[in-house]
Amino acid sequence: MAQLVMAAATPHNPLLWRTMHEPMPDDLRGVADNFALIGRTMRELGVDVIVEVGTDHVRQFYSDNCPAFIIGKADSYHGTFENEVRTFGMEYCEVQGHRELADHIAGRTVLTDAIDFAVSHEWRLDHGFIIPLAYTTPDFDIPVVPIHVNATLPPLPRPERFAVLGRHIAESVRTWESDARVALLTSGHMATEIGGPRQFMGAGSPDPDFDRDAVRWFRDGDLEAAIAGCTYERIMAAGNVTYQHVNIIAALAAMDGRPADLAEATESRYASSPFFLWRNA
Amino acid sequence: MSKYMINKLMRAIEMSDSAVVAYVGDTEAFVDAWLAGGAGPDSVTDDRALTPEERAAFIARDEAELYRLGAHPYLLWHFIEAVWVHEVPWPDLNERYREAVRPHGYPDYVC
Repeated sequence: MAQLVMAAATPHNPLLWRTMHEPMPDDLRGVADNFALIGRTMRELGVDVIVEVGTDHVRQFYSDNCPAFIIGKADSYHGTFENEVRTFGMEYCEVQGHRELADHIAGRTVLTDAIDFAVSHEWRLDHGFIIPLAYTTPDFDIPVVPIHVNATLPPLPRPERFAVLGRHIAESVRTWESDARVALLTSGHMATEIGGPRQFMGAGSPDPDFDRDAVRWFRDGDLEAAIAGCTYERIMAAGNVTYQHVNIIAALAAMDGRPADLAEATESRYASSPFFLWRNA
Repeated sequence: MSKYMINKLMRAIEMSDSAVVAYVGDTEAFVDAWLAGGAGPDSVTDDRALTPEERAAFIARDEAELYRLGAHPYLLWHFIEAVWVHEVPWPDLNERYREAVRPHGYPDYVC
């Protein structure tokens, strides 16, 4: 049987792409080090496949057709969009897919009773997926099963569903007849505001209280508190795009709600960055 | 109100380099050409429409008005960034944007 050898959460802030270069700015050193730690852990644990839970930023999936949960079944994915190349200086890339595991997670003929996935055979991955991969697997040499969760265009899935998603991914890996070693990589935010009156106000978080609480949930392995603390109202009060934080709940649930080995809201010139890591092997 | 169409037009412009250039070059012509497009027998329903105040806000590149009218904040910021950044340095644009939207708080952008 396959093995879920680790779970992790990283930021996907595309502004890092323009600023996080050697010589490393002092305020970004912690972010760079944590990305490197998670990438190194993937290599140490011999990860063969990455299941990546993230959120497309209204690039691939807009309000004309926006699924709550969608899984990629493509053999490969183009990375990033013209506007992200323009705005963030990102580079086009290719990401290899993994159809067999995608089929197993989604259910091949009948939808799983846990999460009713939509599927996509044609998907261009935006920065929410590419940035975490670019910093942890810069050669894009590990196949990926992307799962988009709508955290941008209300109505949004409830936090409880992210726990269900995480458990479902873990169970799918456990029951996959393969000797593959699988990583769950989620990406999201701590308190973050984009497009509102609190955006980019300098170093620091728009809601340090939320960030402290959130780090504690994962550090202590308190899944119930994480779900209870992520009401729509509380999260939006923390910043108008903070909802992507709930992606990390999937990682905690996939690790049976045990404390993370690394739980940190790493400070930088941008809003605090989520870095969470569970080793499972 | 047609928040969906506000967002749709912002997104259509911001995601294409050539659309950004064309829009900035002649906002009124671009917006009116976009409004004149839409559904045909071989395309999906696309009843493009903006209210007069929405149309005026696009022609003026007026972030405060679009925000007040219910533009999705994430889409709005990246739209504004795309269509102003060559004329206003990024730090100034960011500060101007924050000041422009602050009086309006957090409008309902759900569409």
